Amino acid sequence: MIRLEGVRKRYPGADIDVLRGIDLTIGARDFVSIVGRSGSGKTTLLNLIGGLDAAYEGTIEVDGRDLRSFDDSEVSTLRNRMVGHVFQAYHLLDHLTCSENVSVASLFARGEMRRDASWVKQRADEVLTTVGLPGSGRRRPTTLSGGERQRVALARALFHKPTILLCDEPTGNLDLETGREIVALLTDLHLNGDMAIIAATHDEMISGAGARVLRVHEGRFVDREGGEA
Amino acid sequence: MIGRGWLRAVTADLLRHWRHFAAASVGIILGVAALTFFLALGLKVRELLLVQVFPANHLEVAPRSADIDLFALRLDLGRDALDAAVMTDLASIDGVDAVYPKMRLTVPALASGGDSIFGSGLQTEIVADGIDPDLVADELGDTFREVDGDRASIPCSRDEQCGDQSYCDGSRSFSGGICRPYIPVLVSPYVVELYNGAFRRAYGLPKINPDSLVGLAFEMDFGASTFRPSALPPIRERMRLAGVSDKAIPLGVTLPLGEVKRLNVALDGPAAGERYHSAVIEVQSKQTAPGVVDAIEAMGLEIRDRGARRAAFATAVIMVVLALVGGVLIAVATAHIMHVFYLVVMVRRREIGLLRAVGARRGDIRKLLVAEAAVVGMIAGVLGLAIAIAAGVAADAFASSRVPDFPFKPESFFAFSPWLLVAVLTLAVVACVIGALPPAFRAASGDPSEALAGR
Repeated sequence: MIRLEGVRKRYPGADIDVLRGIDLTIGARDFVSIVGRSGSGKTTLLNLIGGLDAAYEGTIEVDGRDLRSFDDSEVSTLRNRMVGHVFQAYHLLDHLTCSENVSVASLFARGEMRRDASWVKQRADEVLTTVGLPGSGRRRPTTLSGGERQRVALARALFHKPTILLCDEPTGNLDLETGREIVALLTDLHLNGDMAIIAATHDEMISGAGARVLRVHEGRFVDREGGEA
Repeated sequence: MIGRGWLRAVTADLLRHWRHFAAASVGIILGVAALTFFLALGLKVRELLLVQVFPANHLEVAPRSADIDLFALRLDLGRDALDAAVMTDLASIDGVDAVYPKMRLTVPALASGGDSIFGSGLQTEIVADGIDPDLVADELGDTFREVDGDRASIPCSRDEQCGDQSYCDGSRSFSGGICRPYIPVLVSPYVVELYNGAFRRAYGLPKINPDSLVGLAFEMDFGASTFRPSALPPIRERMRLAGVSDKAIPLGVTLPLGEVKRLNVALDGPAAGERYHSAVIEVQSKQTAPGVVDAIEAMGLEIRDRGARRAAFATAVIMVVLALVGGVLIAVATAHIMHVFYLVVMVRRREIGLLRAVGARRGDIRKLLVAEAAVVGMIAGVLGLAIAIAAGVAADAFASSRVPDFPFKPESFFAFSPWLLVAVLTLAVVACVIGALPPAFRAASGDPSEALAGR
């Protein structure tokens, strides 16, 4: 489903590559944990897979199609329909309600994904319930705890029933207990959902939940001992 | 985008950043107010000038002059008359409703009379021309028409026997006289003003009311002159002032065209009765006037009385200058809008990154920001129009109570026509959209990951 080959990435003005030749294949229902220190390239890798960053070398294929061949409209559709992002900083819009935050992708839905307002609201309530926040649709993100905000962010990622869920440090800002709940939620989604989950983390709890653990160090995948994988 | 959700998003963004947008709108509001105020004022003044002061639906056409000064003499090398064929050509121009030829009296004339006003008779050299009576029919009715020949056979011995419009010619002769109609004449208001302003003072004469002049009778000897008499015996006619009209020759008297033709033929030969020195063109509307003027000039003729055009042009220039003030304000406001939108885009960088991450295309981001700018422009435009109209109402109230009456003083000095309001409102929206475009394009550029990272 997702295939990376020789992917390299260097940010403008940087002296070294943040990713140095990544080769990776992820199946349709895989749960992959990408583990590594801060700055090791985890977030960059997720951004590339999710089509948030188009400046890279190498090949990234999603469903057999090279991301480079996507124009802006197609890559936007990919982000809208196929990929759900959960960001470390949540990136919730404080001026919108939780329901509106969760359904924000519906504003940009096209084709058969365009639905009427009642469907959108119902779906938002449904995913909020899925993440353990039933009845929270009218609340504002500013009234939520960190764990609840992360759940809303997860609900937003699930809104269009993505086939790829990208989670960047999903427990990074949470206390241990709340982190466990989020991990349990992801595990449940893996077991019961029909999606590939890729979580970038330095949290061993999440890496333990993932079926596959990939360690990244200085832009390369390494084995547990630090040797090149 | 889903319509309602999109509208909600725009509204929410506007409310969230209302301070920024309010600050950005000030320039647009002031610019729209100034532009509308001055345009409405200019349009009304122009309308007054063209419709009331200088009716632009009448154009006087004359042969194009080609004068050359040679020492003390000015040689006229151009055509000096129009013939019937030219009149036909003029009448065939699109947008011309009617053509009224004018003919100068080509022989000298002496006028005498005025005892009833001046106390003693005056005699003066006088110039005259003839106009088509239909040209003044609206203001004078049938009182200014060529003499009806049928009435020239009634015998009489006194003027009273002939009624108001005729006199008894030859009443002192042995065989008695016959009733002959007065020839109606017109004088220009400028003649009356000249008399009341300067002439009467120099000669110690009374000031006269133009209305009281109507009915004044006097004699004219056509072909007679104290300077250079014509070869043929003069023709004496009695004239009766039919009215004061701005269609009359500025200095002299104006007769019905047929009378001037008759006198010219009798005293200057048949050719003098075929040559018109100018023509008044009645155009269908002011909108068609420019096209008519072009066609006339293409015929090698010129528009003699450019008062209306000059006045309209001067008004247009003043209006443009004043409107430029408003335009400059709007231009500055556009730059301000751009600045504010750059600021807003910077503040909302992560938010825009998020919208891109959940599926917004670059075009969606641009549309979102442009829609916000359009709404800002619409609101600012409406406020600006309201201020302009309020200022116009206040100015009218001030003029009504404090400014003394003057000729052509209107009830309102402003023409807030619907098209003007719509045009200025559109301009406000367009200015805001233009201002928001560069920030919108910048916001939509780059990858979402950069925006989310705040890079």
